[in-house]
Amino acid sequence: MTLPPVARAILREPLTRFLLIGLVLFGIVSMGRHLQRPVVRIDEAELNQIVAYWEAQAQRPPTREELNAMLRERIDEELLAREAVRLGLDRDDLIIRRRLAQKMAFASEDLAPVPEPTEADLKAWYDAHPQDHLVPAKATFRHVFFSDDAPGAEAAARAALSRPNPLGAGQPFALPLSYAGVEMRDILRDYGPDFARKLEDAAPGQWTGPVRSAYGWHIVRVEGRSGVSRAPFEAVRADVAEAWKSERRKAGNAAFIRSLRQRYRVEVAGMPDAPAT
Amino acid sequence: MRIREGIAVSTMAGGSMAVIVTALAAAWAPATASAPKAPPAAAARTSGFNPDRNAYFGDLHVHTKLSFDAYIFNVRSSPDDAYRFAKGETIGHASGFDIRLAGGPLDFVAVTDHAEFIGAMEQANTPGTAISKVPGVSRLFSPDPREIGDAFARFIGSMRDNSVPREFLDPAIHARAWKEVREAAARHNEPGRFTTFVGYEFTSAPDGRNLHRNVIFRSGDVPDLPYSSRESADPEELWKRMEAWRGRGVEALAIPHNSNGSDGTMFGTARFNGAPMDRVYADLRRRNEPLVEITQIKGTSETHPSLSPNDEWAGFEIFESYIGTNKAVTKFAGGYARDALKDGLLLQESRGFNPYRFGFIGASDTHNSAPGSVEESNYFSKVGRTDGLAPLRGSVPQGGARTWDPARRDPPRYQNWGASGLAGVWAEENTREAIYDALRRRETFATSGPRIRVRFFAAYDFPGDLLKRPDLVRQAYAHGVPMGGDLMVSRGKAPTFLVWGSRDPNGGYLQRAQVVKGWIENGVAREKVYDVACSDGLKVDARTGRCPDNGASVDLATCTPSRFKGDVELRTLWTDPGFNPRQRAFYYVRVLENPSCRWSTWDALRNGTPPNPDLAPTVMERAWSSPIWYDPKA
Repeated sequence: MTLPPVARAILREPLTRFLLIGLVLFGIVSMGRHLQRPVVRIDEAELNQIVAYWEAQAQRPPTREELNAMLRERIDEELLAREAVRLGLDRDDLIIRRRLAQKMAFASEDLAPVPEPTEADLKAWYDAHPQDHLVPAKATFRHVFFSDDAPGAEAAARAALSRPNPLGAGQPFALPLSYAGVEMRDILRDYGPDFARKLEDAAPGQWTGPVRSAYGWHIVRVEGRSGVSRAPFEAVRADVAEAWKSERRKAGNAAFIRSLRQRYRVEVAGMPDAPAT
Repeated sequence: MRIREGIAVSTMAGGSMAVIVTALAAAWAPATASAPKAPPAAAARTSGFNPDRNAYFGDLHVHTKLSFDAYIFNVRSSPDDAYRFAKGETIGHASGFDIRLAGGPLDFVAVTDHAEFIGAMEQANTPGTAISKVPGVSRLFSPDPREIGDAFARFIGSMRDNSVPREFLDPAIHARAWKEVREAAARHNEPGRFTTFVGYEFTSAPDGRNLHRNVIFRSGDVPDLPYSSRESADPEELWKRMEAWRGRGVEALAIPHNSNGSDGTMFGTARFNGAPMDRVYADLRRRNEPLVEITQIKGTSETHPSLSPNDEWAGFEIFESYIGTNKAVTKFAGGYARDALKDGLLLQESRGFNPYRFGFIGASDTHNSAPGSVEESNYFSKVGRTDGLAPLRGSVPQGGARTWDPARRDPPRYQNWGASGLAGVWAEENTREAIYDALRRRETFATSGPRIRVRFFAAYDFPGDLLKRPDLVRQAYAHGVPMGGDLMVSRGKAPTFLVWGSRDPNGGYLQRAQVVKGWIENGVAREKVYDVACSDGLKVDARTGRCPDNGASVDLATCTPSRFKGDVELRTLWTDPGFNPRQRAFYYVRVLENPSCRWSTWDALRNGTPPNPDLAPTVMERAWSSPIWYDPKA
């Protein structure tokens, strides 16, 4: 079979040859490109995590179909995300910017880790923050109760005061009759302000009163009392160390931001100077 | 952790993936849901330790913005805020005002957000998240109370027909919220001072019939995610999961609530799946549900007037609708605690097992991150912006009107909610361990809000001078059983009960103490309410069996109660006159306060308008002890 003269003429044309060679080259290049397609790889750690999430929710391992469905979803997500980055969709996106800034902030903390504080650092921090680590006001006391339900409760309480041992003079009570190191906050709540004030004023070691509460009359013997005080350094060393580190971390972050400022020129439309860091 | 056998490696797409999977299966070490923690150091007693046990007040039913409904109600306060509120601090309300407890800090709290879709609403309202792009989602976040109501109804509807968008089911979102719950509880737990529990709500309501439970964990060692009603609506499945947790050392109990909205299904006589009950079922239920929440804002479930026609005080804050809709409840039997206790005795008598041997507890069910916000004079709603203002909850006329127009009344929904529900426990100290142990042994009581303290003991041989002894409580423990306990078999003698109520120092005075008895007589369950102690020096009328009227009243123009009426304490020893050593029985205490203004009357007073004529102007606040049981054959 021979080609018609027209076809032969076309084949002899340099343009045709040029196109044919171009086509072959294109085929080779595309094939090469196809061979080096970027890889989407779900690594071991991530697969582990996907299954762990499932197990936490379902309390059983996933079936093959369930795992396949999760993987399909994950792969689709990866493909879409990559394509989005390729097309530059990540630019000018508030959420992505925020997330990246957050990641950078964390990363900067890792780049400049906070050193372990020395004993002197901790003591200095403790001394410089007297309002932290306060121990609330507490009291240790006994009381004898005379219910408002019985007539003459106040007189009975007064009479009990003059007994050598008033314990046993009163009535049973639904709240404790002796307290050891109870917080004044709780006394204020459960007995009212008069009673709490009496505990603060009474001379320790002796029976005083009577004092009124929401329930009736009481005579009180304060055994011990402590105002609001500072927890001793030894007791809060770990908290102080945490606070010291957190302060250092904050200072480190601020310094990092300042150093970034020096590497960029910041302009805000309509403002001669951008606000300082 | 293992991949289920069914995964055939060869069918996986891509050879490298197959290799990874095989490697993984080999590499995964078995692990429990939570990292095991070092055992706690030998328990050191905190300063409040009291071998006679202290009353601690708390709230084990609290919702925050992590609950899907609270978020729809515009609530944006967090578990952290809830704990701060419980400690007496001020937080913000969804309607824009500040809220704070009037009665001082609580002792213990559990934040119990709905496990279903936990944390998802907040994500849905965060621009840029996948879940925020679901069509229609933005309509869930209107600030308008009416649109909130529609959004809530719509979402509940989609829960019911299982059409909630799958983005709401993302376990990563749930895990993040659950982490917030756990971390807030850990942060705020201060042994000896303030106790927190990790918890959540299991929100099962088949066909709208309420079977909700709160799950409370003993320690911070909890599963990675809660077991929710999305996995099964059957509470039995929840209990089985709890048993599995227990097997791994994760201890928890479940507390059902709003049995009043279950349309008779909470305390039914068959299992959820329709099968008959048996001993295994009863044991499973009792082991996992030692307590029932009998009062909360959505009504009180102690008993219903139709179930207890001879109890003059049965009609307390009764709520006769389904939960979350206005559908009317038609079946009260099986929905109330006293009735269930009686059914339990009957089952014990006829079948030899009792699934309904539970103690009582109260809670708020606040959706405002506001534990304990059940104070009548300081009540600011339950569901965020939906009922945050008085006209929305029916306590003052709509549209600024000064009088009540009978033609213009909104459906009676929020107006029938009660400012009620507080938990009381008797525990040695304010720690997770001590309070949890009290919950387990049912040494708990419920109140309608006030911090009324109730003691209840039973014995055959209390000392004659018990009531006068300064070591009364120690003697009571030594000779008897406390609330939640079981009496030993009688050798013919009737038991004696120590009944002791003590007023809330910031509340009203006590009017009477009662013992509610349920028993089986000739195969029929009976009940009777005995007045056992009267205030103001009055004696129980032998003819009526009731305390005479003590004359206490309230001036509705000022909400001031009449002076010098009622007692600080009611304390008595009572012997059951109808005791029969061969009859099964339970006994519990109910202590009643003098009447005081209902929250709706306080709202009206502040607004300068008359109280809503459809509502009771006053309530009798009260406290209920857990029961003590008597079994002829122990």
